[in-house]
Amino acid sequence: MKLFHLFLLSLVCIVAAIAAPASAGPADLTVTSSAIDPLVLMKGDTGTLSVEIKNNGAESVTIRSARLYGSGVVALSDSYPSVGDIGAGNSKTFTFTVRADAGEGTFYPMFVLDIQDGGNLRYPIPVQVEDTPLTASVIGKPDAFSEGRTADITVKVGNPRPNAVSGVQVIPQGTGFKATPTGAFVGALPADGSGTVVFNLTPTAETDVTFQVVWRNGINTHTADLALPIVFGEDKRQADPVVTNVEVVPEAGGYRIVGDVMNAGLEAARSVLITPGAPATPTDPYRVYVVGTLDPDDASPFEVTFRADANVTEVPIVVEYRDSDGNRYTTTTMVEVGGMAAPVKDSEGGIPVAGIIIAVLVAIGVVGAIYYSWRRT
Amino acid sequence: MNVGFLRVLLNPGRFFEERMQSEPSLKIPALIAFIIGLIGAVSAALTANMIIGLLPAEAQAFGPVMVAFTVVGAIIVGFLSWVIYSGVFYLLSMLFKGEGSFKRTLEVTGYGLLPQVFGGIIGAAFLYRVISSLTVPTATSPEQIAEVTESLTNLMMTDPLMQVAGLVGILFVVWSANIWIFGMKYARNLSTRDAALTVGIPVGLYIVYTLITLTGWL
Repeated sequence: MKLFHLFLLSLVCIVAAIAAPASAGPADLTVTSSAIDPLVLMKGDTGTLSVEIKNNGAESVTIRSARLYGSGVVALSDSYPSVGDIGAGNSKTFTFTVRADAGEGTFYPMFVLDIQDGGNLRYPIPVQVEDTPLTASVIGKPDAFSEGRTADITVKVGNPRPNAVSGVQVIPQGTGFKATPTGAFVGALPADGSGTVVFNLTPTAETDVTFQVVWRNGINTHTADLALPIVFGEDKRQADPVVTNVEVVPEAGGYRIVGDVMNAGLEAARSVLITPGAPATPTDPYRVYVVGTLDPDDASPFEVTFRADANVTEVPIVVEYRDSDGNRYTTTTMVEVGGMAAPVKDSEGGIPVAGIIIAVLVAIGVVGAIYYSWRRT
Repeated sequence: MNVGFLRVLLNPGRFFEERMQSEPSLKIPALIAFIIGLIGAVSAALTANMIIGLLPAEAQAFGPVMVAFTVVGAIIVGFLSWVIYSGVFYLLSMLFKGEGSFKRTLEVTGYGLLPQVFGGIIGAAFLYRVISSLTVPTATSPEQIAEVTESLTNLMMTDPLMQVAGLVGILFVVWSANIWIFGMKYARNLSTRDAALTVGIPVGLYIVYTLITLTGWL
């Protein structure tokens, strides 16, 4: 009986062995494509590496495991254990998480498929690692900065990398200034692409402004800084009101100064006001003379009236104006009034009411006298 | 002194008609011109005194001399203006075939100056009011004296009270002109129209000039 059982078992095995389909060998498996995201890694970047294989044979292949190994670019994810069968003509994709651990260069981590029936497939996958960061440069700024004066700063971000990056932002950082906007979004930059952002910067002190460029290479965030020193100086283009052709005319109740104000700068002076400064006391009718906007090389006459003590020899003429951003500036021109006769304080130069009454009475008297004289003739 | 001449202010026609009955006399007209000169001297002295205030202390000693010269000059100007008015009226009346002596013209012109006595008094009062409201700094050089003097002149010319004084002066000149018309009518035997032209042309020009000066057009 035991011999019979043993015979049957052997027979089944032989039949099974003869009836089983023939298995495809490693020569029928090929790596059809591989891809890495991001396309080019930077040192320390993490990416995903995908490898697609295809069974070109007429029979299915049983794969025991798939794995990736190598130096420079290392796999962070585990290998694929017990992959199983891949039918004839079918494809399968294996995805690994990798990290660039070494420096720059092209690395070839090895993709290995272990075949159930023995043998394996080994395929090196090229992975490029390059550390070139994005670049930023200031392509527009004023000749000089002034305290409280808003200036336009134009920053250009370029991508010298061989692959596209995404989520590019520029964020001004530092103290002693106000920036609008507080951050600018550029978005994706293709290889060799660039983007431009403009900030309105208002410094309150001399400082350094750092424009931090933030971007993503795949899922990896990187930064690059661009420093812009803010040093106050005189703007060569700013408006420059100059007071000329001044004439001081003493008159009852004070002085009258007439003259011209000219804009010798290269930018318009807006809301130009002219007033006499202390120790002068502005008086009507021209306490303040409103010139309005003075374009470059334009001139306007002005007139101010004021009162000053007899011992005052100089009076400042204050020109106040604004730039196109609304920042206020003042310039002062001293005008000599010394050596002129000055009225005492109780003389205000107003309308002499008593004098006018006398004149009216005289007029009535004279007209009456003339009328009377002709009536009597 | 016969003060009946004051009638010339309100009834110049009757007054001069009566005056023509007697020989021309220049006593009262000269007195009127002298008084006008004196009033002008007061104004001039006020101005001179202000100018003297400019001078440095060591030069102040010349002040009385300057005031004396100013007073004498003003009196002379008073007489000169009388003669000049008379001369102009006399010459113009010749165009209208006027007849009568220059002495008679002097006489009636002198009487016609009478309203300007009042005008001079009011003008001097106004001038005093303006001058007393000024503080005059001390000048140390002739250039400064000239500059300050010019400034003072500007100040006074632009003072509203002085402009009112100028208008009042014009009113009294108009009153005088009215008297002169009657005077010239009788003194030079002119028709009323010719007398009015003889007086009106120079006086009108003078008033226009004064108004232009007051308004600062010149």
